[in-house]
Amino acid sequence: MSLRLLFFDELKGYAKSKVMIVLWIGLPLLALLIQFINPGEYEGMPVSFLVSLVVSSIGGTLSAIMLSTSIVSEKNRHVYELFLIRPVRRSSLILAKYLAVYLCLVIAVSISLSVGLIIDSIRGDLVENFLKVTIESLIIGISSMSITCSIGIFFGVLVSSVPVAAILSVYLGSQLSSLILLPTFFIEALNPVIFAPSLGILLTSTILSINIILFNRHQF
Amino acid sequence: MTENCIEFVNVSKSYKDLLALDEVSFKIQKGDIFGYIGPNGAGKTTTLKILVGLIQDFKGDVIVFGKKITAKRKDLYNLIGYHPQDAGFQEWRTIDHAYKTYGLLSGLRSDHLENRIQEVLDLIGLSDKRFKKIIHLSGGMFQKLRLGQALLHNPEILVLDEPLSGLDPASRYQFKKVIKSLAEEGVTVLFSSHILNDVQDIADNIGILNEGRIMQIGTPEELRDSFQVKNIIEIIVAKNSDLCKNLEQFENIENVENIEDNKQLVYLKPDVDVDLIIPQILKRLDEQKCKIRSFSLVKPSLEDVYLNYVGGDMK
Repeated sequence: MSLRLLFFDELKGYAKSKVMIVLWIGLPLLALLIQFINPGEYEGMPVSFLVSLVVSSIGGTLSAIMLSTSIVSEKNRHVYELFLIRPVRRSSLILAKYLAVYLCLVIAVSISLSVGLIIDSIRGDLVENFLKVTIESLIIGISSMSITCSIGIFFGVLVSSVPVAAILSVYLGSQLSSLILLPTFFIEALNPVIFAPSLGILLTSTILSINIILFNRHQF
Repeated sequence: MTENCIEFVNVSKSYKDLLALDEVSFKIQKGDIFGYIGPNGAGKTTTLKILVGLIQDFKGDVIVFGKKITAKRKDLYNLIGYHPQDAGFQEWRTIDHAYKTYGLLSGLRSDHLENRIQEVLDLIGLSDKRFKKIIHLSGGMFQKLRLGQALLHNPEILVLDEPLSGLDPASRYQFKKVIKSLAEEGVTVLFSSHILNDVQDIADNIGILNEGRIMQIGTPEELRDSFQVKNIIEIIVAKNSDLCKNLEQFENIENVENIEDNKQLVYLKPDVDVDLIIPQILKRLDEQKCKIRSFSLVKPSLEDVYLNYVGGDMK
């Protein structure tokens, strides 16, 4: 009950935040810009593929920053005390935040991808296997964002300075999340569409569990 | 027999090497207002956080309505309302939104919540701000908002950490009135404060805490009586009139201090019978034709008692 309530609350808060507006409007616009500024550069590559790459990279980083800084700020301002004096599990606070931001991010990806697909169809660039390429990049992007968000929460729970949390999220968040692609470069037999989400789920659950343990130990 | 509502039995709490609470014991009866005073770092907030469950690893026993509190304290959440000293709110919320979330989390039914929020906002004087974003509220309003969230679920025990700090005099008066009226309805109140006048105004009992230890507990009157300071007589005479002379000659008078042209303080020796010495002083004043405007026995204030126990370290 409390997780559901907190999730919809957080969703409401994040959906109205400036960062989410940037993600939902700014990133599709950025994808458009990339195409229109220098279309020749990406010949043969569907815009939708580019879009999913851009959104998962920039969007994931922005979300990690937003999660880490908001948790640090709320910890420092003792916001959680008002929840924890009620029958609320600490894990619900963390999971509600994670799920809300991740859902916002998935929505942002969907909007951006739709824009990319529309451009591809207008340009007539719908290459034979475009759907396969796009879905592949989408799955990898979503898996990577899931890890980035959980890393953002990790820094939020761990540190007590907002700038430090933001810096760590920028430099380590997106770097660590790209690790899920590395094995596929070296082992050809690995199918990234299966491997990335599997590793994404595994790493996300592990990091979220660590986050919950750390948050449970935090003295409010 | 009056029912014990809250009981701390030899409660200790350490933060690494720092002993924050050292075998703290006290009892609060149902419907009482218990003022908890002490300097910064004395352990007041730690005590309150143990009671409300924010701190769960401590030694000793905390008993609420006869039941020892444990980590599984689900039924206790609805009994206790807590006003934290400096807790913030998610500022993107409106007051209404924040209270709805807190209310639902406390187990209030959503159909009942609308009216309850209005009742609470009326009580704390924020009705006209119900749909305002929290980020736009002032510091004093934040304080009211904290009290309001603690009252939402009609708790039987109210735990208030420095509830009156940062409030203007009118709001302080209003707060004290609310606290008193809740106590009259049977709500037990435990509140910490460093504003001694406020504690004196509303507390039925006071506990003085210093360096994690309870130094004294009692009613304001008992605390003053237990405090062995010298009684002092303040004498004020008419302006341009002479102060009384040679009062030191009485063997029960320790010292006389002329603090203004028309005002003097007469320090009596400890354990002196004031009913014997006062007539003698009055007689002396009469003999010297002093034009008396005021003659009063100054009893130790709560501040004197407090300073005696905490060594003058006022917040």
